[in-house]
Amino acid sequence: MKKIWNNHRTSLMFIFPAFFFYTLFIIYPTIVSIPYSFFSWNGISDDMTFIGWDNYSNMFQSDRFYNSVSNTFLYAVVKTILVNIIALAVAVLVDNVIKGKTFFRNVIFIPVLLSGIVLGFIWSIMYNSNFGIINALLANVGLENLQQDWLGNPELARWSLIVTMVWKQIGYHMIIYLAALQSVPKELLESADLDGATPWKRFWKVTFPLLAGAVTINVTLSFFNGMKIFEEIAVMTDGGPGFTTENLPYQIYKVAFANYQYGYGTALAVILFILTMVLTVVQNKILSKREIDM
Amino acid sequence: MRKKIKAKDWLLLVLTIVVSIIIIFPVLFAFMSAFKSNGEILADPLALPSSFGFDNFQRLFEETNFLEAFTNSVIITICSLFLIVLIIPMAAYPLARQKGKFYYIVYVYFIMSFMIPFQTYMIPLFEQLDTLGLLGNLYGVINQYIAFSVSLSVLLYTSFIRGIPYTLEEAAEIDGANKFTIFWKIIFPLVTPTTVTIIVLQGLGIWNDFLLPLLVMSGMDVKTINVEIYQFIGLYSAQWGILFAGTVIAMTPMIIFFTAAQRYFVKGITAGAVKA
Repeated sequence: MKKIWNNHRTSLMFIFPAFFFYTLFIIYPTIVSIPYSFFSWNGISDDMTFIGWDNYSNMFQSDRFYNSVSNTFLYAVVKTILVNIIALAVAVLVDNVIKGKTFFRNVIFIPVLLSGIVLGFIWSIMYNSNFGIINALLANVGLENLQQDWLGNPELARWSLIVTMVWKQIGYHMIIYLAALQSVPKELLESADLDGATPWKRFWKVTFPLLAGAVTINVTLSFFNGMKIFEEIAVMTDGGPGFTTENLPYQIYKVAFANYQYGYGTALAVILFILTMVLTVVQNKILSKREIDM
Repeated sequence: MRKKIKAKDWLLLVLTIVVSIIIIFPVLFAFMSAFKSNGEILADPLALPSSFGFDNFQRLFEETNFLEAFTNSVIITICSLFLIVLIIPMAAYPLARQKGKFYYIVYVYFIMSFMIPFQTYMIPLFEQLDTLGLLGNLYGVINQYIAFSVSLSVLLYTSFIRGIPYTLEEAAEIDGANKFTIFWKIIFPLVTPTTVTIIVLQGLGIWNDFLLPLLVMSGMDVKTINVEIYQFIGLYSAQWGILFAGTVIAMTPMIIFFTAAQRYFVKGITAGAVKA
């Protein structure tokens, strides 16, 4: 077969524009962030002082840092578990409905279309302790004693945020599960029926194992997205009360752009990068192992 | 037997309706509240609007720069998508066709940023944009969206192009067409399904993005719709009706886009998920 592409110069001309934007606006700043993290710098003055590992040692002595790291994982893990269970259940439900499958799928997808700012705003009003919907609903059904300051109570605020994050993502993961459900062979389900399997058993023994690929994708996507939560925190709690709902991405933003501690902020950013890299490697290891098993 | 199945089906239908209402409720609540006065919202958040007025919308446009922010968001989304679709399939074409280590390394280089969280390079990026004079205008944001989209788009385009047979390109080359002609006349029309996927996925991401425009345009007069709403929440904290009118305008274009192209959204999300 004739080789179509033999001219490297033309190839490079094709590649260059994408290469240019990508290198200038992603790769270069990523690399530069490492040296930044060894300086004390407010980002405005020319005065950059080399302070060695001080940013890192301050970080590892700070409660605020440990709190934001643990929140980062809390959001990612809890959101992943909840959103996957609910999205799978909703997908099975919508898949079995007699009529209007597309209609219900579309309705449930709508929250996915909203920006974090818009949905954060709507939910902060729903959670409002004085005239919020949730407290009003509780009052209507006579459960006044369950009324709460959903975002003002430090213990509750984290969970209120998680509910919002889960709610936003159900439709997205449902679509991936629905697509996987379509590919489950009907003959398999019918033969399970003939063998006398209950619907419950049929789901766990036949359908669920065939969804393994979709589970992997959905868990990976929701976990890594969960580590990046930002807008919901910005609108709903601003990291508060105190620093209780702050995660690593939000702390980096606050430290750099509210406190002007650019050096310290980049040190936090380097840690976020390392965490993400380690988790990506671990996740790849687990996945490749699972593929061998199957 | 027949009757039993019917009862079960009805139960499923009712359950699905209930689930859908729970999930869609906050969106309906926002639409409902946009037509209510402040007093009505405070008196009973669950009540329907007493009259179907557009007061909140009128005040929104008169008292704020909302229209300008909306226009900025539209310009940013359209220009970014146009440039993404112009630049990235072009880069993916030789990457998909050329053999050899060099092209493989470039490909891996492009895919790499999947693993880099935005906050990692956010601070140096801010400095970088400042140095280049890209703060406080639309160009900085658009450039950044092109860079953002490289990883996923290169991945989707190269895998699609690899599936296209060489024959058409060979025939065109024999007829004397150059690479640019081959790309624009043959390859580009053939990759339309991927282009639609990219427009759907990146369009949604760009329209809804907040942190980047907040940083790049902070303290400036140029704002996007999400930045405008975010700053409203502080400024107009007691004007719920106006705020709801703003959120309704922010979400309506995406809901219309989705209703018109829902088939492609489903395809885009499943393709994006499987390939990523």
